Amino acid sequence: MNVTLSDAVDLGIRLFALFNVVALGAVSLVWLERRFLGRLQGRPGPNRVGPFGLLQPIADAIKLMSKEDVAPGSSQRLIFYAAPILVFVPAFVVWLTFPLARDLVVRNMEMGLFFFVAISTLSIVGLVLAGWSSNSKYAILGGFRAAAQLVSYEIPIITMILVVAMLSGSLDFVSVVDAQSRVPFILVVPLGLVIFLIAGLAEVGRTPFDIYFAESEVVGGPFVEYSGAHWAIFFLAEYVNTFVLGILGALLFLGGWRWPFGENLPQLASVALLMGKAYFIVLVIFWIRGTYPRMRIDQLMEVAWKWLIPLSFALFLVTAFQLKFEWPWWILTIMSLAILAVPVLVQSQKQRNPALALAARYAANAVVVEAKPRPSPAAAEDTPPATSETAEGTSA
Amino acid sequence: MTEQDPLAGQPEAKGPEASAEKPVRHGPPIVVAEEQLNERGEQTAEQLARTLGALALDAAGRDDTPWARVDASQLHRAAEKCRDGEMGMDMLNLMLAVDWVDRIQMIYVLYSTTNNRKAILKADLPAEAPKISSVTDLWEAGSWYEREAHDLFGVEFPGNSDMSPLLLYEGFEGHPGLKSYPLNDYEEW
Amino acid sequence: MSTGPQFDSVDMMLNMGPQHPATHGVFRMVLTVDGERVVDVTPHIGYLHRGTERLAEVESYGQVITLFDRVDYISNLNNELAFVRAGEKIMEVDAPERAQYIRVILAELNRVASHLLFIGTYAIDLGAMTPVMYCFRERERIENLFEHVTGARMMHNYMRIGGVKSDVPDDFVPWVHRLIGDVRKGVEETDKLLSTNEVFLGRTRGVGIIDGPMAVSCGLSGPSLRGSGIAYDVRKDDPYEIYPYLNYKVPVGENGDCWDRYYLRVLECYESLSMIEQCLNQLPDGPIMAAGRRIARPPAGEVFSHSENPRGDLGVYLISDGSDKPYRVKIRPPSFCNLIGLRPMTIGSYIADAVAILGSLDIVLGEVDR
Repeated sequence: MNVTLSDAVDLGIRLFALFNVVALGAVSLVWLERRFLGRLQGRPGPNRVGPFGLLQPIADAIKLMSKEDVAPGSSQRLIFYAAPILVFVPAFVVWLTFPLARDLVVRNMEMGLFFFVAISTLSIVGLVLAGWSSNSKYAILGGFRAAAQLVSYEIPIITMILVVAMLSGSLDFVSVVDAQSRVPFILVVPLGLVIFLIAGLAEVGRTPFDIYFAESEVVGGPFVEYSGAHWAIFFLAEYVNTFVLGILGALLFLGGWRWPFGENLPQLASVALLMGKAYFIVLVIFWIRGTYPRMRIDQLMEVAWKWLIPLSFALFLVTAFQLKFEWPWWILTIMSLAILAVPVLVQSQKQRNPALALAARYAANAVVVEAKPRPSPAAAEDTPPATSETAEGTSA
Repeated sequence: MTEQDPLAGQPEAKGPEASAEKPVRHGPPIVVAEEQLNERGEQTAEQLARTLGALALDAAGRDDTPWARVDASQLHRAAEKCRDGEMGMDMLNLMLAVDWVDRIQMIYVLYSTTNNRKAILKADLPAEAPKISSVTDLWEAGSWYEREAHDLFGVEFPGNSDMSPLLLYEGFEGHPGLKSYPLNDYEEW
Repeated sequence: MSTGPQFDSVDMMLNMGPQHPATHGVFRMVLTVDGERVVDVTPHIGYLHRGTERLAEVESYGQVITLFDRVDYISNLNNELAFVRAGEKIMEVDAPERAQYIRVILAELNRVASHLLFIGTYAIDLGAMTPVMYCFRERERIENLFEHVTGARMMHNYMRIGGVKSDVPDDFVPWVHRLIGDVRKGVEETDKLLSTNEVFLGRTRGVGIIDGPMAVSCGLSGPSLRGSGIAYDVRKDDPYEIYPYLNYKVPVGENGDCWDRYYLRVLECYESLSMIEQCLNQLPDGPIMAAGRRIARPPAGEVFSHSENPRGDLGVYLISDGSDKPYRVKIRPPSFCNLIGLRPMTIGSYIADAVAILGSLDIVLGEVDR
């Protein structure tokens, strides 16, 4: 293999550009999340630093960098400081293969999907090591939770990537996008995107799956002992991973830069299209974060092993049949929706309806205390009798 | 100031030390309230008297809450009767120790969720080495109340297995609930 | 629980608190955990012990009210009400009717504010971050009204033995009417968002179950007890102030789990708002302090009076020796008793459940430690 200087320079420029794009993307996500959640929660969000608070992430970064970097005295120093890097590097390396437009990619690989799966799994090691090396009980609990959670949710994610690979007949991101120029895979396998998003949320560790660093239980989990710049690296990696999820969802299911405008878009417009789709997915993730509480570790495992994995295998099988017998694509849509209906029906029967009934019963069956007529020697003239007309507006 | 403080017009009100030095009190003389039970309280008092029988040394009450004083050694028996008998006092609503300087009085406010009635048991303990049997086996709530009374008043509760300090820290000296405990010149720790 | 020791394993001690985001103050519980399962829990309290009861013995009756503001610092007015009622009982005065109405209106508003705080922080405990914003928005409205009426947002010192400090401002009634509308909307919003949320249900239903007899034995009260199906509410069972003249319902749970304890508080918010509405419609004119109110030396004697605090049955045992200071003040702190139920509820659950259970008891450490 002969690498010329110009190749190396070219690669260097691409890497530099990529690093900046990714970092900027992650930082924009920090801002977006805080503003979006603010609006969701009826408050303005950060709006003091720069226009619309746009410089808030930079202020945060400066604050974090200038903080004292503390490590527990009993920690395994080497591993303790290596762990953030082990989490951070895979989050960035996967970007090597992500095409932002047809030719806008650092190194397009034929095995791009495989490369992504292989690299992204590595960050588990960093989390477990961070938990272990901190020598703190909360951290180790968080580390174990992270290991259990991330390993479980790898399976449905990989299966969904396999389904996409089968549908497009390639492991190359560009071919995957090309295969969606007419019909994006979200229409072909809606269930795929659902599983992908749920498992992706768990992979990234966002609500309702933010279990391994649950603030109110394990106080930050593996990150509990980190401070300053090292903590900032974990923080940045989390947002980079969220961004990865958005881009990946856009590439694999929403038709990347091709759908719905086809091939004729100029490069800048294709990047904008892809980014728009990615940010849409990210906003959905933030939306979920603003709505849902956190699950418990056993429920998390239940979701993975009792629902997502069987469903993803079912979808895998169905896709295989569709390809084998060359049914039209909408057959697959119907079948995947049918599969999706199973958990929705079962689960809604199990939890919510009884709860609604219970809530109504509590409101209706409350012990009623009737008002006694008020003895009114003094104030009889201007106040109504004690029986009140407001009684009907009482309960939920 | 348009509103008037309950204390207004009583500039002679002083701290307890001052009044201890000067036995002559200013202001109105001490009146001892006449305790009176209402109709509902009378019924409860009857029940209480029936339940306790000869255990009750004396009894009275106020409004709807009668009380009965029992001997400290008999308190557990009395409490058990109240809980299991017709009164059905299934909740230990409140338990407190009062330092009367010459004695320490334990007061148990019992409540029945089934009959919706309150009754009070009292037991006098000696000021030196107060000791009374635990009611934790009757009501779970007793355990923490007893630890608190142990912390603040130094009452011993044989029968309560866990008497570690609850409100005070380990190794705290003295019993700050007692009247003899100095209020202002304690040591910083 | 576990199927038996297949491995050589040691239970881990996990110290939660006193500095922990989910302990609502300086509460500490030592969990003995087997993996994610809680084998045992030992609560440690006392970090906030200020000796309130002992301090009250050297303060005059009027001054003790300020101490009660600080006992349960989330529902100050309810606490003031509890003490002034005990004081009125021992001094044998009755507050004029208008004062009683004002006190009940404010106490019920404070109950709503306290429950809103609970709903919000409980959601935070379970990882939902939006309800707390909604709840605090509504709570802020109530606090603004308090500031308008009493001059303070939290430490009001507004009630007096025999009445209230000063009459309410002229715009009180329309203000509260408006407030009720806003707050009801806010509670409904939060209720819709959280109460039947699938994940929320999963985290709270069937978690931290305590049955009725055990709950009574532990001395639980308030929504924590009613969640276990015991309809004990002091307002209903030992009516005080002007509560007998109001129509209301006391919601009672069935399962005694965290969701019941949570949801009863939501329902109580609606009930309280409707009670306030009735009070406003009945609010009479008249004096706000009892006539012979310069009595600072009650007759010697002792009284026990209790009232329904947002957290449960707040009792005050007041002993007077005839001087101008109480001889003994003993508070029956509902949070303290509710916390006794923590151990039976928590054993056998998950670590995450321990947080949910502790949150569902809605403790205020100022009251637990006094």
